[in-house]
Amino acid sequence: MTGPILSLRGITKSYAQGTAFDRLFGRDKRFVALAGISLEIARSDVVGIVGESGSGKSTLANISVGLTRPTSGEVLLDGEPLSALMRDHGGPWRRRIQMAFQDSSSALNPRKSVSRCLTETLALRGVPKPEREAEALAMLALVGLGAELAPRLPHELSGGQRQRVGLARALAMKPDILIADEPVSSLDVSLQAQVINLLSRLTRELGLTLLFISHDLALVRTLCSRIIVMRKGEIVEQGPCLDVLDRPTHPYTQLLIAAVPKGIKGRRQQAATVDIASPISPARESAG
Amino acid sequence: MSGTGRMEGSGTGGPLLRIEGLRVGFRSADGGVVEAVRGVDFSVAAGEAVGVVGESGSGKSLSMLAVMRLLGSPARTTGGRVMFDGQDLLALDEARMRAIRGRDIAMVFQDPQSSLNPALTIGRQITDVVRAHRQVSGAEARRIAAESLERVGIRDAGKRLDAYPHEFSGGMRQRALIAMAIACRPRLLIADEPTTALDVTVQAQIVDLIAELRRDLGIAVIFISHNLQLVAEIVDRVVVMYGGKVVEDGPVEAIELRPRHPYTGLLQACVPNLTGPVGPLVAIEGAPPRLGRMPQGCPFSPRCPHVVEACIEEMPPLEREAELRFACWRPQ
Repeated sequence: MTGPILSLRGITKSYAQGTAFDRLFGRDKRFVALAGISLEIARSDVVGIVGESGSGKSTLANISVGLTRPTSGEVLLDGEPLSALMRDHGGPWRRRIQMAFQDSSSALNPRKSVSRCLTETLALRGVPKPEREAEALAMLALVGLGAELAPRLPHELSGGQRQRVGLARALAMKPDILIADEPVSSLDVSLQAQVINLLSRLTRELGLTLLFISHDLALVRTLCSRIIVMRKGEIVEQGPCLDVLDRPTHPYTQLLIAAVPKGIKGRRQQAATVDIASPISPARESAG
Repeated sequence: MSGTGRMEGSGTGGPLLRIEGLRVGFRSADGGVVEAVRGVDFSVAAGEAVGVVGESGSGKSLSMLAVMRLLGSPARTTGGRVMFDGQDLLALDEARMRAIRGRDIAMVFQDPQSSLNPALTIGRQITDVVRAHRQVSGAEARRIAAESLERVGIRDAGKRLDAYPHEFSGGMRQRALIAMAIACRPRLLIADEPTTALDVTVQAQIVDLIAELRRDLGIAVIFISHNLQLVAEIVDRVVVMYGGKVVEDGPVEAIELRPRHPYTGLLQACVPNLTGPVGPLVAIEGAPPRLGRMPQGCPFSPRCPHVVEACIEEMPPLEREAELRFACWRPQ
């Protein structure tokens, strides 16, 4: 197949705001999380989605894996509508698109050992029981973890190790597409680099298609070939990563780049204390 | 000045705050004590901005909570002195400490959401602080609160006093907390990861605000962060902590351009830039030491690329060379 592996066509998502009373009298407003997103992801593409909280980047991720249904629009997995595929709950499409979450402590079941977490996932993929243990260890090795971690429970792991177990679990399904939602933002900087290097290696070695959602422009620059900048549910700029970051055209992209801490080089002469509206609740900001 | 008045500088010309051999430990299940802060020394001059940088578990926040005498059980200070204005804060009785906390030394925390009482208006929370430390009327406290809110860049401050925390965005909540912290014009502001929960653009605004308050009001600042690049934008000096110890300390330019401790150099190298060639990141292999499993020698020795036998056997002393102090057997 030569078409895009993942396409989003006119995706919108809105949520009801206000009380039941407001709805009764037709006074409710809808909060628009995504305002018509269309994009295509080619096979083995490594795409970074950046934006601040409220930009809709996580909603986009959840819709892409079928965790959230869009209000309108269609997600196509290899040309097939996700809405149709989803009627078959445990169908083979599930395996093909996997997600790694931001919070490594709540993404793992605290009562299941690393080994059990992985073998259960392998069972879902249909790996015969006698092979699961060995395959689980192979998955751990793939993410740079030793076999000695297999019997441990999540709380006995460091944050970086938990994050890698989360990745190993997603990769155990042998997905074609991995969607990683802020996978390193809860990690210390020294561990961040380990996970970013690992993702970079996996995309090269396995030809994995990666959607990397982050607020950290420098990490996206390191890992991704393409970048999509989102703000308030819209794509404001996109293109090859280095081009966009070197020559941003949209003011919001420029603002994001200016806000990246730059050490002693970044000492600002004039303090900017403009009270700009929060992307989440602009209405409240401007209210007296 | 009466006994309840503000302490003035003792005129010795010494630092505003001097932390000496500070140790913090947790009581462990077997009755022993596990140390998380293992002898921290550094000082802050009046009006100076100092960044305390380290990863989680480095002991940076615990040290500052110990300075404020805000440690909760099972953590407790197990040694050292915290000299502020010529007296040891650790030796003060609670009433005298309470008079200093919030008035002479104020602290701002990471999560503005949980630092504010959701059931009280912003104005009430600021005036409570003012009236705890100053004999002023309700109207005067309200005027001071409005002035503080204005000072931190919140427009229509008079009206915003009656708002509740949920009506503020994250960035505005952090501004309100800073307003509360500066309402009594403290001489030292301790900001513990004040921007970590915020978006990058808001983070930049809060950092600028803290720099501006320090410049205009002459408040000394201790800025705790895991992000060296961020603190380097506004501080004069950086203290790098690892495994409950200060491993390097000096002027920000030297720390950023010519660090001597391998950890400081790697800490910078593992954070990618927005310029320059793209390639694999410098990763520090392994993980920070866990509480109760501190290496016998240098805490960074299990991860250090320059490790020699001496590093594993003995903790190097913090020694001064030129403008830096560093604790390393094999400085770079």
